[in-house]
Amino acid sequence: MASFSPPTHFSTTSASYSKPHLIYKPFASLKSKNPFFLLSTLKASADNGVEASAATQVEPLLQAVSEPTSPPPASGNLDGSVGTNGSVAAAAEEAKALASFTFKDARWVNGIWDLKQFQKNGSTDWDAVIDAEARRRKWLEDNPESSSNEDPVVFDTSIIPWWAWMKRFHLPEAERLNGRAAMIGFFMAYVVDSLTGLGVVDQTNNFICKTLLFISVVGVLVIRKNEDIESIKKLLDEVTFYDKQWQATWEDDENSSSSRKE
Amino acid sequence: MAAQIHHLRCTFLPSFSTKNPSPDFKTHFRSFTVSASKPGTSSIAGRKLRAAVVGGGPAGSSAAEALAAGGIETFLFERNPPSVAKPCGGAIPLCMLQEFDIPLELIDRQVNRVKIFSPSNIAVDFGKTLKSHEFIAMLRREVLDSFLRSRAQSAGANLIVGLVTNLEVPTSPTSPYIVHYTAKNNSRRSIAVDVVIGADGANSRVAKSIDAGSYTCAIAFQERIKLPDEKMEYYENLAEMYVGSDVSPDFYAWVFPKCDHVAVGTGTVCLKQDIKSYQRGIRERVKPKINGGKVIKVEAHPIPEHPRPVRVRGRVALVGDAAGYVTKCSGEGIYFAAKSGRMCGNAVVKASEGGMKMVDESDLRREYLKEWDAKYISTFRFLDLLQRVFYGNNACREALVELCGDEYVQRMSFESYLYKKLADGDRWEDARMVTNTIGSLIRSMASSN
Repeated sequence: MASFSPPTHFSTTSASYSKPHLIYKPFASLKSKNPFFLLSTLKASADNGVEASAATQVEPLLQAVSEPTSPPPASGNLDGSVGTNGSVAAAAEEAKALASFTFKDARWVNGIWDLKQFQKNGSTDWDAVIDAEARRRKWLEDNPESSSNEDPVVFDTSIIPWWAWMKRFHLPEAERLNGRAAMIGFFMAYVVDSLTGLGVVDQTNNFICKTLLFISVVGVLVIRKNEDIESIKKLLDEVTFYDKQWQATWEDDENSSSSRKE
Repeated sequence: MAAQIHHLRCTFLPSFSTKNPSPDFKTHFRSFTVSASKPGTSSIAGRKLRAAVVGGGPAGSSAAEALAAGGIETFLFERNPPSVAKPCGGAIPLCMLQEFDIPLELIDRQVNRVKIFSPSNIAVDFGKTLKSHEFIAMLRREVLDSFLRSRAQSAGANLIVGLVTNLEVPTSPTSPYIVHYTAKNNSRRSIAVDVVIGADGANSRVAKSIDAGSYTCAIAFQERIKLPDEKMEYYENLAEMYVGSDVSPDFYAWVFPKCDHVAVGTGTVCLKQDIKSYQRGIRERVKPKINGGKVIKVEAHPIPEHPRPVRVRGRVALVGDAAGYVTKCSGEGIYFAAKSGRMCGNAVVKASEGGMKMVDESDLRREYLKEWDAKYISTFRFLDLLQRVFYGNNACREALVELCGDEYVQRMSFESYLYKKLADGDRWEDARMVTNTIGSLIRSMASSN
């Protein structure tokens, strides 16, 4: 049910690779136009940007590219915005410097996973493919890359067969939930038997017992972690919130009918 | 005065005792008491109804046109000269061109290809099912607004160039509203009208005067960038949408082609103070395609996220952005502004029978609000659901892009967007789409853990 939770700040993972220079820059100083400025805009990591307070921005600085003849930033009014578009020559240099920051994996070739490198015992190891793609996406969350027309991403997750997903994600969870249901069922059957004298067969014929059975099955399916109880309660509010905002103008109708200003 | 005064109309008598058939509204038409309407208050002897429309954008101009064409003396207030460009995406659907008779010469570009990029840069071509006559029209707001405004003037509306500073709300049901404004030569003037339509946008002064309440706004930030010719060719009829937490935590970032430049921008509701870093994020994502371009303008504007708590009070109605009619998920507002303006104008014309009679709050609610809500609330609700499900985190965004690759989804989305009508689809395909949605969401959420 994670999809219904309110947008969360995504967690900043502590960088597993070192970003060489991290400097906190007060925002006002970014208004100065100088070549140094060109470099500082190149890689703004989004997660640090989200963390920063309103006044400061965090920007990693690339190692200084010696480009004394790089043309001045060709933008019109900067107006405090940090984007400058370098010329083509500067772009080539930047691309080379940036290459160390793009996603690199021996099996990621030309924007797609090379399945031949995922062979295990003669057939494709789909678990490894899923893992690799998950790692790529997580990496990109922390280090977003530009989309380019020269090497576009053409990987389509639909090549992973459905049973790979089942085996990997559904079956372990199903085992856990079935185990819980079995434990609850056995225990409750014993307790109800000792309290009421109804055996398993008689319990199944009883309406109250069948209702309890239904509630416990739904409970096992819906409440998987402790946090789920809170999120279910909030879910109902969230789902109806937008509707309430629309109907707000009609609520006013009854309250103000006696003391209405016209 | 506890009892409400109605114009006695026989069509209403039978419906008082029965529950209103529309299932959406449970709190309506229950305890109305019918009392004889006093002739003095319901007809205005010897003059036409006077209406003021504050704000001369698409909403205001459509309202003024409908009012003036219906025979009401209309005053349209607009503070900016026709050349001022409003910060806006500038995209309108086909149905607006048809319904509002917008000539094709005003259109700068006809976008018939849309590309959507996921957080991991998986790109999907979203316009595969568009027919040759279907496109998204991109225009300049100043061009569109001037056209609609001059059409309102030709219909008979009096355009007043000035800034409305205050709206005096009367205490009795027949006294006029006084609109105070500052005219072009800085002289302060005022005018008395019977009905006011507030079409003055997200920071509506009219809404403040009637205590309509406030709403949460998103901020939309964009930079207009002039590209070198060969890069501009790539965007000839292509618009791009980017999703990802680096470009927006709860919305999308865009690259829209305009007349001779592109607009690169993003928006957010919850993290407005970080908008500049999101703008940097989108610039990064598009970098190879806009490298070498020149920023010619930087602009930002608030966008309402939901309707105001009060949209009609007394003889004042809000339309367009002032009322909060912007869809979630796509952030579309121009069509709904124009349509609500027209509907409100028509409502006043109908309730006043061509400007002969005075209107009151219940007329506005019945003819305008009720019609509007009945027509569009499901659209707005559905888009809110989509935004909540798909824009929350990166896993859901990946799922969104995966789903958008499906042709049925593309066809349904475009038809609903272009014609504002629920596209008639195949039930089996719908079921398949729902199961694919659930499957994609589960897969991306599982693989992101």
